[in-house]
Amino acid sequence: PSITLISAPEASMDSRLANTWRPTVNEKKFIETALASNLRIDDYNRKPIEYRQLTINFGRQLVQPYRERPNEGTMSIFTEFSPMADPSFELGSPGEAAIELGRMIDRGLRGSRAVDMESLCVLAGKLVWAIRIDLHILDNGGNLIDAANVAALAALLTFRRPECSLGGENGQEVVVHPPEVKDPLPLIVHHLPIAVTFGFFSTENTMVLDPTHSEEAVMAGRMTVTVNASGGICAIQKAGGVGVPQREIMRCLRLASQRAGLITKTIKDAVEVFNKERASRKIKRHSTSVAATVSVEDGITSLREGPHRQEKSNSNAEQTSEDSDSDVVTMQEKLSSEDVKPPTLLTDLAEPEEQQTSRVKKTTKDAVKSKKARTRGERRRAPT
Amino acid sequence: MMMETDRKDGRTPNQPRMLSCSRNILHRAHGSASWSRGETKVLAAVYGPKAGTKKNEDPEKACIEVIWKPKTGQIGKAEKECEMIMKKTIQSICLLTVNPNTTTSVVVQVVNDDGALLPCAINAACAALVDAGIPMKHLAVAICCCVAEEGSVVLDPTKLEEQQMRGFAYLVFPNSALSALPKGSSLVDGEPLEHGIITSVTHGVMSVDEYLRCVGRGRAACAKLSDVLRRSLQKSE
Repeated sequence: PSITLISAPEASMDSRLANTWRPTVNEKKFIETALASNLRIDDYNRKPIEYRQLTINFGRQLVQPYRERPNEGTMSIFTEFSPMADPSFELGSPGEAAIELGRMIDRGLRGSRAVDMESLCVLAGKLVWAIRIDLHILDNGGNLIDAANVAALAALLTFRRPECSLGGENGQEVVVHPPEVKDPLPLIVHHLPIAVTFGFFSTENTMVLDPTHSEEAVMAGRMTVTVNASGGICAIQKAGGVGVPQREIMRCLRLASQRAGLITKTIKDAVEVFNKERASRKIKRHSTSVAATVSVEDGITSLREGPHRQEKSNSNAEQTSEDSDSDVVTMQEKLSSEDVKPPTLLTDLAEPEEQQTSRVKKTTKDAVKSKKARTRGERRRAPT
Repeated sequence: MMMETDRKDGRTPNQPRMLSCSRNILHRAHGSASWSRGETKVLAAVYGPKAGTKKNEDPEKACIEVIWKPKTGQIGKAEKECEMIMKKTIQSICLLTVNPNTTTSVVVQVVNDDGALLPCAINAACAALVDAGIPMKHLAVAICCCVAEEGSVVLDPTKLEEQQMRGFAYLVFPNSALSALPKGSSLVDGEPLEHGIITSVTHGVMSVDEYLRCVGRGRAACAKLSDVLRRSLQKSE
């Protein structure tokens, strides 16, 4: 956003003693008058300044499908507002803001059929893949919904699930192939629903795109529009708040679909870069992921060929050639400005999913072995 | 059975993994730092001091609160134990009387766990506290040393190595503020400050000699780590 706010003196210890953050009266007036004189340009922050960690993990279990949809996989979203994101976030079960965020993203993804659920079916009526998306909010700079949505989409696009095939006498045995044997498959994503949030203020029909934290505290109403790049509206959410005239809403919808195209391109480019980097790392080291707890004896009942031994390979192996005298240290000072690029961070943080491939492998193998025990999808097995 | 110099990723027993540290990465938190050793990565954020102390805490002093967030899953006993260890460690390095009747929260988020997680978290928390400007007596540096089956000491294990070792120890040493001290200035009972151990958590079985060897090796490695940390903090201020 192009407004520079009078920032509260965060550096002094005294101001931190105020536990809840309220915009000072000065700030409020400043924002409102600035907006009234149209200082704020509708400039979407292509890279939202806050970022969140996203993990898709442990959801890749084979579970029983829902009864009314025996041919589809399941997807569930868990949102967690970490206390590190905002001093007002409390530890504990998710509050209503967290739940609303989770539900909105869920609606955008599931309702619009962005992810192809039928391709997740392994055995119709018996076993399907369950995907679980964990959203950890790390830093709250405002407009969490949009950023979380982008993170969820990026994670879904870079996610790889193990390939499995049917075998055995009557085609009922399921073999899950580890990533060394067969390359894991990406999810089929038809389109990308992008969430765009607008903030409305009580003074003279002012509307802003992508409200920051300060603007959120001052604004009188909000609306989130989830559109995809081809202009289809996936969801609109306006829960209460100040009444907005119809033509304002139409204007918002038009703006949203314009922005959606740009954001889709950004996401796709970032995912491209990440995938290339991941592929080049795979070529460098022969074995891809590491099994922390998988033991060699853990075999599946049906036929499986391929390397049983899991090699531990450090992704830094090719870079470290140091001895104990010179610790190679990369110190990066990232300044708190809007230059923080989510693609890099997403790369860092989404990379660990490689490790989870093998962790989940154990769970999926157990799930297959104890197929009869009907393992539940959402229950996580704690690795010891 | 692990040979003396044959670690899976090609390191020598005395060689820790590649270190990467960044500070001031979060915008809302008063202080934040990310610390990674190889694949193990931890993000720490500090909020504070905030007014008031928790129940059962001494109002004459500042209170430290640690929240440990695992990568996935519910918070269980292991996480509570980590919180307790970190809280005690941080309490011993902070000057608690500067801001009495306040609470400082340290939130630790595990981004990836590939061995030596608690030392990584302690290092990250320490860097985040510096970033937040919380008054401290001195810094702390942490390392993990493990004892292999045949008794040799290996530094900074990965998760796989940790599980194969006979025992391992997480050690935290103080890191004094000045790089060049006049002789005898920071001696405690005749020994330099850096020789003290702030925290030591061990798992598994090891003999007294092996433990002392771990401490010796760990301290040497931490001395180097302290230098690196001090230089980076000075460079950025």
